[in-house]
Amino acid sequence: MSFLDVFIQQVINGLSIGAMYALLALGFTMVYGILELINFSHFNIFMVGSFVALLMMQAMGFQGQSLILYGLPLIAILSFVLLATMLITGLLGVLIERVALRPLRGVAGTAPMITTIGVSYILFSLVFQTQGATAKNYTNPMPPIHWDFGFVTLRLREVLVWVIAVLLMIGLNFFVNRTKLGQAMQATAQDQEAARMVGVDVDRVIVTTFFVGSALAGAAGFIFGLYYNYTSFLIGYTAGLRAFTAAVLGGIGSIPGAMLGGLLIGLIESLGGQYIAVRWTDVMIFSVLVLVLVLKPTGLLGTAGPTKS
Amino acid sequence: MRRSKPLRAGLKGLAAVSFIALAAIAGAGLSSADDKTIKLGIALPLTGADAADAALIQHGFEMAIDEANAKGGVNGHKLEMVVKDSGTATAGQYDPAQAATNTKALVADPDVIGVLGPEMSGEGKAMTPILSEADMATITPSSTNPDLTDPAHAAQYMPKGKPVYFRTVTTDAFQGPNMANFYKETLKAKNVYILDDSGAYGIGIADAFQKQAEKIGLKVLGRDQLNPKEADYTTVLTKIKQLNPDSIYYGGVNQAGVPLGKQMAEVLPNVKKGGGDGIYSAEFLTGVGFPAVEGWYCTNAGPHVADDPALAGFVKSFNDKYKSNPNDYSITAYDAATVMIDAIKRASDGGKMATRSSVRDAIQAAKIKTLQGEVSFDKMGDINDRTVSVFQFKKDDKFKLDDSSHQIGYIGVAPQS
Repeated sequence: MSFLDVFIQQVINGLSIGAMYALLALGFTMVYGILELINFSHFNIFMVGSFVALLMMQAMGFQGQSLILYGLPLIAILSFVLLATMLITGLLGVLIERVALRPLRGVAGTAPMITTIGVSYILFSLVFQTQGATAKNYTNPMPPIHWDFGFVTLRLREVLVWVIAVLLMIGLNFFVNRTKLGQAMQATAQDQEAARMVGVDVDRVIVTTFFVGSALAGAAGFIFGLYYNYTSFLIGYTAGLRAFTAAVLGGIGSIPGAMLGGLLIGLIESLGGQYIAVRWTDVMIFSVLVLVLVLKPTGLLGTAGPTKS
Repeated sequence: MRRSKPLRAGLKGLAAVSFIALAAIAGAGLSSADDKTIKLGIALPLTGADAADAALIQHGFEMAIDEANAKGGVNGHKLEMVVKDSGTATAGQYDPAQAATNTKALVADPDVIGVLGPEMSGEGKAMTPILSEADMATITPSSTNPDLTDPAHAAQYMPKGKPVYFRTVTTDAFQGPNMANFYKETLKAKNVYILDDSGAYGIGIADAFQKQAEKIGLKVLGRDQLNPKEADYTTVLTKIKQLNPDSIYYGGVNQAGVPLGKQMAEVLPNVKKGGGDGIYSAEFLTGVGFPAVEGWYCTNAGPHVADDPALAGFVKSFNDKYKSNPNDYSITAYDAATVMIDAIKRASDGGKMATRSSVRDAIQAAKIKTLQGEVSFDKMGDINDRTVSVFQFKKDDKFKLDDSSHQIGYIGVAPQS
């Protein structure tokens, strides 16, 4: 076990957690980019996503890790559950926007943000009351395939996390840059009033933003379950806070920034844990955040937003 | 027109005084009307991650109390339970702040003369200072942190000087070290990596394990702390893998234990692994699940009696009443209630009025046959019997996979030092 082996293994660990943080950070950053709102309900949309996928797989007859699939059936089931989960959490995001946030549009101050905290607690308590507090053994049809390279082990589920995350990020990138709605989104983020004047349907853009952000959170929730083989009503808090930190670190409002921030936080977590101590993880993550913000207040890839007049 | 400030303050004061006077009259009226009833507080985390095990404990208390009431009560007094839930949704498990609030409410009720519980040491640490001020005793069937009854911490946990925290289980001062002996003598482990979950119980039992391990030459390769709110322990497990240990000891409860158990099976499938009574639970069994949970050892801070043929009658009536098997902590809970009922009886013999203080003194002097054997306490409130039992999670296809009384097999008594 050389220094390099351990280092590579921890990088693999870090990139896997980081990919999850990045997916989650995208939702924070997109909503902030459009509305300048920090959406705290995002924490628990992620958690709800992991339960939606779990219940769906249980309804299809999967229990624990007893039924293992290979090849095409595996890919088909995973893609189906992934897409259905994204659709459901996306609609949940739209519902939250419609019911709790749209009436507050234009209200100055912290009211909308506090509302999102309230919604977050409602989701948290709903799952807690209906699903119970015990950690759930996740249904997982993936075979326990892994490849050993000396000390280093690469597992199929790590590859899966990366593949899903990369595909979703490529898809998002395409959507934002190449489609009309995506460009309308960018225009709205730059200047809502001007976008409205040139005929952008701002409400539609906002609804789309919530849908896409929440769908990505749902995907992250499903990946969480597959990766760790468990879920619980508590998982939103720590992952959400780290993902939010990732969004700020990368420059809130910036989509590439959220991806970079997520991966960085994941690597800080694993390499910091290896070379310092796991109990200092939070201290390390938040120290890096403070340092970056002191030196570059807009975050790594953020640009100073236009001042709202 | 607004009233001037001094006048308003005066009115408020008057209102408060008359309210207190009214309450005193009402209280006096109530207790004289019903002085045949004696109330016992029940302090357990019935909401959150500890709920399933807390319910098994509550049922143990309830069985003993119902049986006593069915026989006409204690010296003619009916026993009534005042159940207080110390679990909160925000904590997701037991919440020490809620435990303190509940204890204050129990102390404020003059009819409550004793408490049964708590399940967790973290609750106990919040409760004891308040109980000590009221000279009211509690008997815990499961909380094992040694600080609570350690003379070195007496100023904190028994400020009035007398023990108020009695236990029908032994403490981590024996549970941890005896398990270290088991690792070395029975499992033949040469070295160990120790983890805890940052909670009062977890740190305490891991410390006690570590001290004994160092003493008997079981090499400690390292020690780290898990954040129970976090989900990812692959980092620390990779770090441990690099040290190539024989065995791992985890001090803590399910919240960090379940994800740890899951990920341990992936990263370190071939080490010997174990923990304390924090993972001797149905939740660890179902949350980690087979195959990942296979092979984990755990302990219980008391003798294993649930399978004892002499207890078949108890197990059957428990099963009839609650549709589930009792675990060892249902039995220590039944024993705790038995000790409490016996103490109230001795404190109220001959028509005496049982008080909080006289019940406390009677518990201290207890010497009574219970399901687990004879129970008596040392001068700090700890049980004199110091047996620690070891169990192992082992799949038994004859029974349901979530049946903790059959999927967690009894191994034996851990070697005492």
